[in-house]
Amino acid sequence: MPKPRFRHIGAALPRKEDLRLLTGHGRYVDDIEIPGALHACFVRSPHPHARIAGIDTKAALSMPGVFAVFTGKDLAQWTTPLRMAPPIEGLHPVEMTTLPVDKVRFHGDPVACVIATSRYLAEDAAEQVEADYEALPAVADFDQALAPGAPLVDESVPSNLVSRQAFTTGEVAARKREAHRVVECTFSQQRMTHLPVETRGCAAVWDEGRRHLTLHIGSQVPHPLRTQVAARMRLSESQVTISSLDVGGGFGQKIALYREELTVAAASRQLKRPVRWREDRMENLLAASHAREDRCRTRAAVTKEGRLLGLELQIEEDFGAYCFYPANYLARVVAMILTGPYKVRDYAFEVKVALTNKCGNGPMRAPMAITSWVMEGTMDAIARELALDPLEVRRLNMVEPGELPYAMPTGEVIADITPRETLEAAVKAIDYAGFRARQAAARREGRYLGLGLCSVVESTTYGSRFYKAAGIPGSGHEAAWLRIEPSGAVNASVGLGPTGQGYETAFAQVVAEGLGVEPASVRVHMGNTDVAPYGMGSRGARGGTAGSATLFLCARDANEKVLAIAAKMLGFDSPEGLRMVDGRVEREVLGERIETGIALAQIARTAYLDPTALPAGMAPGLDFSKTYDPPPMTYSNAAHACEVELDPETGALRILRYFVAEDCGTVLNPFVVEGQQHGAIAMGLSGALLEHMRYDEHAQNITGSLADYLVATATDLPRFEILAMHTPSRGNPVGTKGMAEGGVMGSIGAIANAVNDALAPFGVIADRQPLSPDYLRSLLRSK
Amino acid sequence: MLEFELNVNGERHSVRAEPRKLLSDVLREDCRLTGTHVGCEHGVCGACTVLIDGQPARACLLYAVQMQDHEITTIEAIAAGGRPGALQQALHEAHGLQCGFCTAGIVMTFEAYLKENPHPSEEEVRDVLSGNLCRCTGYQNIVAAILKAAHAKA
Repeated sequence: MPKPRFRHIGAALPRKEDLRLLTGHGRYVDDIEIPGALHACFVRSPHPHARIAGIDTKAALSMPGVFAVFTGKDLAQWTTPLRMAPPIEGLHPVEMTTLPVDKVRFHGDPVACVIATSRYLAEDAAEQVEADYEALPAVADFDQALAPGAPLVDESVPSNLVSRQAFTTGEVAARKREAHRVVECTFSQQRMTHLPVETRGCAAVWDEGRRHLTLHIGSQVPHPLRTQVAARMRLSESQVTISSLDVGGGFGQKIALYREELTVAAASRQLKRPVRWREDRMENLLAASHAREDRCRTRAAVTKEGRLLGLELQIEEDFGAYCFYPANYLARVVAMILTGPYKVRDYAFEVKVALTNKCGNGPMRAPMAITSWVMEGTMDAIARELALDPLEVRRLNMVEPGELPYAMPTGEVIADITPRETLEAAVKAIDYAGFRARQAAARREGRYLGLGLCSVVESTTYGSRFYKAAGIPGSGHEAAWLRIEPSGAVNASVGLGPTGQGYETAFAQVVAEGLGVEPASVRVHMGNTDVAPYGMGSRGARGGTAGSATLFLCARDANEKVLAIAAKMLGFDSPEGLRMVDGRVEREVLGERIETGIALAQIARTAYLDPTALPAGMAPGLDFSKTYDPPPMTYSNAAHACEVELDPETGALRILRYFVAEDCGTVLNPFVVEGQQHGAIAMGLSGALLEHMRYDEHAQNITGSLADYLVATATDLPRFEILAMHTPSRGNPVGTKGMAEGGVMGSIGAIANAVNDALAPFGVIADRQPLSPDYLRSLLRSK
Repeated sequence: MLEFELNVNGERHSVRAEPRKLLSDVLREDCRLTGTHVGCEHGVCGACTVLIDGQPARACLLYAVQMQDHEITTIEAIAAGGRPGALQQALHEAHGLQCGFCTAGIVMTFEAYLKENPHPSEEEVRDVLSGNLCRCTGYQNIVAAILKAAHAKA
């Protein structure tokens, strides 16, 4: 396919969003003034697991400024429980009430909600709510959860094993028998949290006269959230508006309808007053949503040359206490796409997910984050055990361009990706060939360098057919509308929920391209469910793929009608040879473009104000809408290469160089794409090096502040060097492949492999994260 | 409740608030200057950074009542007449912000820093920037923007 040539798509336009955000005029939830709003504060369990014997609210209710104290029993009357029971084999159905009624299941579980005239008074009163608990034994991790006789987190799940799936294709046992060696390795990823700098919060405004709820909330998925809110409050979807203007980061934390948010909405309806809530950072750490904490084990059957014959994977995930998503949702994708760019036919996996007495898990930027570390760490282990060059092992096993499209053993098809090209570019950039000599010279000086590689095949965009095949109810479609107003102004909308991705800019470029106007004349409206069409929101990396394709197709429809009107105005029978460039209609005559003198504003005026002048049978107005369902799965790819120096005395790591060669298809706006690459790599490195949501052995959370939960600052991160190797996809009309999660996947693996390369002389292997100085020193001391 | 006056961005604001009310909350709720964001309320993330007598400070670690007789400057004062300042312009041009929630704190930190250190190195910029958490950008473009703004002023 020839490279599509675009006029506006691909331009490095600075963002339309910036001015308001730079000058303090953004509208994040807490910036929205709501006269007369009351403030909510939640009373939270200090126990990881306890029966609620009673809640005495009298003292709190008698305090000045306190309007109400609601408990689980109140909410159970006003809201329906969340039932998570998709028909997936091996997945146990579970249900939760809006607030706990009988027992609390983790440290931080909300048991009551105080409503007062200010946040200060609500917090004062929350301290006076007397909850009487009977402590129960708790399970603090996966192994405790599955131990015989373990306490049950959810009595409806008989063994805490909430989900188990197994899969086999080919004959892995036979391949293991034939193999020169079976290389086994383990990977343990710690519990983390998303940590958007803006914590969760919302403001609910119930209009008693219109029987209508407006919920101001930072959301990645406004319409699916509306569906949830309406259903659980027994309202119709026409009685709820979700309004999400500026959002201070999401990273997957702002997808689910949380229990606090539903409580605040129900409280507003009960009190007939606006109610608002902003959690503090400790609540965000303890009780918003956690992520990851999974252990993987691979067994790779290989020839003595390092060729992969068969592969086994076991995943064990600690999912926490509550399921806001199907419990297999995150780990299963890892198992589905593990093999990435590598060729293997015989493959088996087992995925087990346990409930524990911790905050529930959810998808965090790259829910499948561990995938590339596991596969690329396995490649390194093969090389280590067989004394081969890890790059050669990769080259030996990687799919060739001529073999694409290639079906992974799970049936997932990769097409239009360039893993060999990106790998070779990354190793060249980091001077892989010269590194071993530098490494040896450094070792002679007592310095320990390491180089790590990590190839990534990123599953970016889930189409409806993928969900259907996975047994998950839901859709992967996206929706858009475009209106050219009588003045020629262009408004457009899409059902995504921006949280900093520059959609207002990049999508204006897409609309401009499809319609034939300048990006400056296009305004893209998102986040309000009364304005935007019903789309599936922002998750995965679907904005650049599903979002841009839908808007582009919608704009092409608009272009067609605009040119048909222009043809009539010019006295032509057909629009053939006409095109619109930056809002002016041109005509091609003998290979030359001639201005017709007709501009979009005139066409729009005709469409709205002089419809009898339109072509026969054409309806007035310029109002278009479109839905689009992307292919079952879209993949992009990258190769990461990173060089580190390890100080064996302190265990400290310094990242000396970091390269990523990435192919994410058509780039809508290189500024935005590079920004997403930086951010994703940073989030991966931050997690791999620092972040750790810790619980003690009794399931008490001991990570309640930003002094305990460490995230990367500007001094922890290197300068990222990006090699743009984008080739368009044939999978959608714009050619985008999606991106913004692969950086997390790649950096986790690249840094771990680099550290193990540096550790090689000491004969130890780091197989868990974070790769903290403590951990690395403990490994070195073990020798 | 106490009644007192605050000098914010060159204007006097009459405030009626409890002595325990944080400067960040008074600026946002009583002075209606919501550009100062609150990210952690325990002095780590730097989102709420404002200038007190020209020096950066965490508004979440100060009581408003302590700030009488001091000059407070917030993000709203930086784009004089609606035109972004040099640092804001550089952040725009270098794509130094994504969700934008932490941005005001970064602008305020470096408005002060660049006045005293007009020619910082990248290492110095990263060191000072380490007091502001950003979860979106990986800091690289913020660092580039700050250096660009320093060059533009030099």
